[in-house]
Amino acid sequence: MARFITPGSMEAVSRLGGAPGGKRGAPALDTDTDSTREIKTHFRVCRFIMETGVKLGMRSVPVATACVLYHRFFQCVSVTVYEPYLVAMSCIYLAGKVEEQHLRTRDIINVCHRYFHSSSEPLNCDGEFWDLRDSVVQCELLVLRQLNFHVSFQHPHKYLLHYLLSVKSLVNRHAWSRTPVAETTWALLRDCYHGTMCVRHAPQHIAIATLYLALLSYGVEVPVGEREWWQVLCEDITKEHIDAIISDLLHLYDMEAKCT
Amino acid sequence: MDRDLLRQTLSHHGQSLFTHLKCEQSENPDFKAIEPDLSKASYQRKYGGEDNALVEQFIARKADILFAPSWKSSALLEDVLEEEGEEPYAIMPPLEQFMEVSFEERRNLLYRDIERGDIVIGRINSIRDFGFFVTLICMGGGLERDIEDLELTALCPLRDVPSNGNHDDPLSYYQLNDLIRAGVKDIDRYHEKITISLQPSSLGPNLMNLKLGVFSRDDMPLQYSRSVRVANDNTETYERVLEGSLGYSNPSNVEYLLGKIGVSDTQPPSLMRGLQSKHFLEEDFATTIRKKQSASWALKCVRVGVDHFKSGRHVEAMNEYNKALEIDTNNVEALVARGALYANKGSLLKAITDFELALESCPTHRNAKKYLCQTLVERGGQLEEEEKLVTAEGLYRKALALDDSFQDAKEALKKIELLIQKSLKLREEAAAKEAEKAKNVETSAEKLRKILKEEKRMKRKQRRSSSSSSSSSSSSDRSSSGRRKSKKKKRKHRRSSRGKKHQQVSSRDNRSVADDEEEWYPAPPNTSASFLDQKSSVVRPFEGPESTEEGSQPPSKGRSHSYRSLSSVSDAPDNSRFEDDPFDASPQRAEGSKGKGVRGDKTSDGDVKEREGSRGQRKSQGQEDQSGPQDVPSSLEKVKHRRMSSSSAGSEHSRKSDQYTNDLPSQSHISTYRRSDSGKYGSTERGDKKEQERGTRRSDGGDYRSSTDATRNGKGSSAGGSQKKELPTNLLDLFSQIAQFEKEKCVKPKK
Repeated sequence: MARFITPGSMEAVSRLGGAPGGKRGAPALDTDTDSTREIKTHFRVCRFIMETGVKLGMRSVPVATACVLYHRFFQCVSVTVYEPYLVAMSCIYLAGKVEEQHLRTRDIINVCHRYFHSSSEPLNCDGEFWDLRDSVVQCELLVLRQLNFHVSFQHPHKYLLHYLLSVKSLVNRHAWSRTPVAETTWALLRDCYHGTMCVRHAPQHIAIATLYLALLSYGVEVPVGEREWWQVLCEDITKEHIDAIISDLLHLYDMEAKCT
Repeated sequence: MDRDLLRQTLSHHGQSLFTHLKCEQSENPDFKAIEPDLSKASYQRKYGGEDNALVEQFIARKADILFAPSWKSSALLEDVLEEEGEEPYAIMPPLEQFMEVSFEERRNLLYRDIERGDIVIGRINSIRDFGFFVTLICMGGGLERDIEDLELTALCPLRDVPSNGNHDDPLSYYQLNDLIRAGVKDIDRYHEKITISLQPSSLGPNLMNLKLGVFSRDDMPLQYSRSVRVANDNTETYERVLEGSLGYSNPSNVEYLLGKIGVSDTQPPSLMRGLQSKHFLEEDFATTIRKKQSASWALKCVRVGVDHFKSGRHVEAMNEYNKALEIDTNNVEALVARGALYANKGSLLKAITDFELALESCPTHRNAKKYLCQTLVERGGQLEEEEKLVTAEGLYRKALALDDSFQDAKEALKKIELLIQKSLKLREEAAAKEAEKAKNVETSAEKLRKILKEEKRMKRKQRRSSSSSSSSSSSSDRSSSGRRKSKKKKRKHRRSSRGKKHQQVSSRDNRSVADDEEEWYPAPPNTSASFLDQKSSVVRPFEGPESTEEGSQPPSKGRSHSYRSLSSVSDAPDNSRFEDDPFDASPQRAEGSKGKGVRGDKTSDGDVKEREGSRGQRKSQGQEDQSGPQDVPSSLEKVKHRRMSSSSAGSEHSRKSDQYTNDLPSQSHISTYRRSDSGKYGSTERGDKKEQERGTRRSDGGDYRSSTDATRNGKGSSAGGSQKKELPTNLLDLFSQIAQFEKEKCVKPKK
């Protein structure tokens, strides 16, 4: 990484305040193992990605791509060598390009700078700004190389929406309109990108699991036939599978309390 | 919290959930409020499933979000049917079919869920006199169910069959086994009867545009055709159908479906505590930060630009301002700075545009208001010169509306009001005069006398100087006589032609001349070569700092046109207004034409006042001199000329000012004109001549006749100067007579 990132830009990023577990979040406990610490870091950085995504007006799918890029990158490398927040910024930038929602580096830098230094003045068009920009662009290339340029993914979102429509048709329309199943399942789907479960499971399975959990949360009655609706929507899924995904997801919600 | 929803959940999960809820939501006031209601019922788990403690705990923890009334983002969304043939997302067959829901179940569910306004497609199975019966095949909108094998029958009563124009029985249009698309009109759930209708009124607003009635097999909805395919082919799974459909590959199907479902992607929902929308502040968003940043970057450029401006580097200043406006369009400071730069350079219209734009974004910007007022008044001044008095008045009013303490605007407005009144009055007088003049019949002797006088003067002038004489009076003489000649029958062609030429020439001249009578130095004849030399020689010193407002001035008359181009009229009186501003680094530069430093601001102001005061009087006099409709435009032109001359005043001939005073009050005013004229055109002879004329006139005590003569003389001489005429020989013998006649008539010495 040192080859690609100039001393100035590295300094700029550390000035940005992106040391792992540094400025944001609770301090790491001594009882934490390295892996726990890493998981917490990744959680925080993914939270950073999602917040930045909202502030930049990113759609759900590019945000998901950014998170997946981040997770996949750190599956191969160590978090101690690479500055995770810088990698996150580059993943956001790259995801915007991949999912055709192009973002300007100026906006990304502005939002991230403000994330770390809240209520500060916007950056001037000076050396520090150009250093930051350089480092984001350099890191983007690094991420691409690390992932072998395999940067386009199938996301659960598309599946989820189709499943949602199909299930909706089974249910009485008034009951459906009273129950915020769509919002809940979309929220659950977005939240599952805080952890690596998004890369460990197939997109259809994640979609089914989130829909299942949402329906369960509200006690929605779905007609029963020879086969379960979720079985129909995705042939190769099992109930255990769904349960496993759901427990992973719920685990993430527990982590929130520990990490932030 | 949504009580009904909670009840629904509780009845699904049972008592254990309730326990969890009480535990997790103990601090939640909303929950506390409805807890008593909920605890009344006892909840049995509906399905004998496993005790899913983890999920229940999750539900309990997130209950405040899940059951919040605001969580539901949209009301019942109207179902919008996609266009025929379009598939923005994969349209799937009913899930019931895949799930193999039992016959009974489906039937029950259908009767439970079908509503008025849904669309059904079916085949006519019998036609009776009270209507026809249809076997339903599939749903066409509003509800997506698999109903083909249910073999439901619906009745379409006669009154719901629209008539098709001719007086036949409407039912005759339909035959057995026709495919029909109809809207559901009524449901009797208890008796399981469905009534359908072909009237468009039976449909809801969202489905209104569908055509009901006979239907073709090809138009069957996509989901039905897919459903048929699935029914026939066992290997077709939901997944395969999904991935095989075109809409699945549409890159924007996620966006489309989100819109259809009603979930927002810009304010996305989340169950994480930290990602709730209330935690996001507007000023942290990218667009807000960018705006602030652009404004600050642009401001830096503006500061650099102002430095350039103060040091006189206007080009660099303009570049910096433009750069600032590229970074941040409609940046108030940059617009004001650029406007000031434009105004200083003289591009008043661009300046006004910039100031107005700046004031739109920030109506309280002090400098913008101030500069706009000044520029408006200056532009008004320009417009006055161009005779656009009403527009000018409008501008003055506008300036006063902006800042009603602006003295210059007030004065200018008063003056222009006077001016407009006077011009109206003059017009009336002119009309009266014309009527009067028409009655006058001149003898031919008189005419000849005039012609001769003009010609003599012209000769003398040409002898003295190549330049035009102050022969405004003589030229006017000639012109007026020429005009009269042309009106009557012309015996002498040459004379008439000459007269015509005079008319054309002096019509222009007249206006220029009549304005000025004895005070104003007449314009040089516009067709002599000397005029061209003069023009070229004089233009140069004024080209540099000159404004570009020339184009805006109307090229009405050839001679007067030259004057306009020579003087930077626009800048004349009003540059002083920029003096007190930081942007006004070099106000004198714009005053280039009078930049000789002779005329200070006082004079210019004084001029403005005096000009106004004397204008009226002069006009009236000019009016009396003239005959015909040329008077009014000429008097206005007089005004113009005065302005022009004043602006082009030089210092050289100030001594002449004394000589040129006359009975009219605006002496200093005149003197400036004098100065300007002499200085400009370097025709000292003319100056002398005029001097003499003035002197005589003064002696007359400013009486009507003298002024008339002066005008006529001026006209005659100018016209004469413009053309070299040959006297017809048979007139020569009349010369002496006429000369004599004239001597008796007027006291003025011949030049």
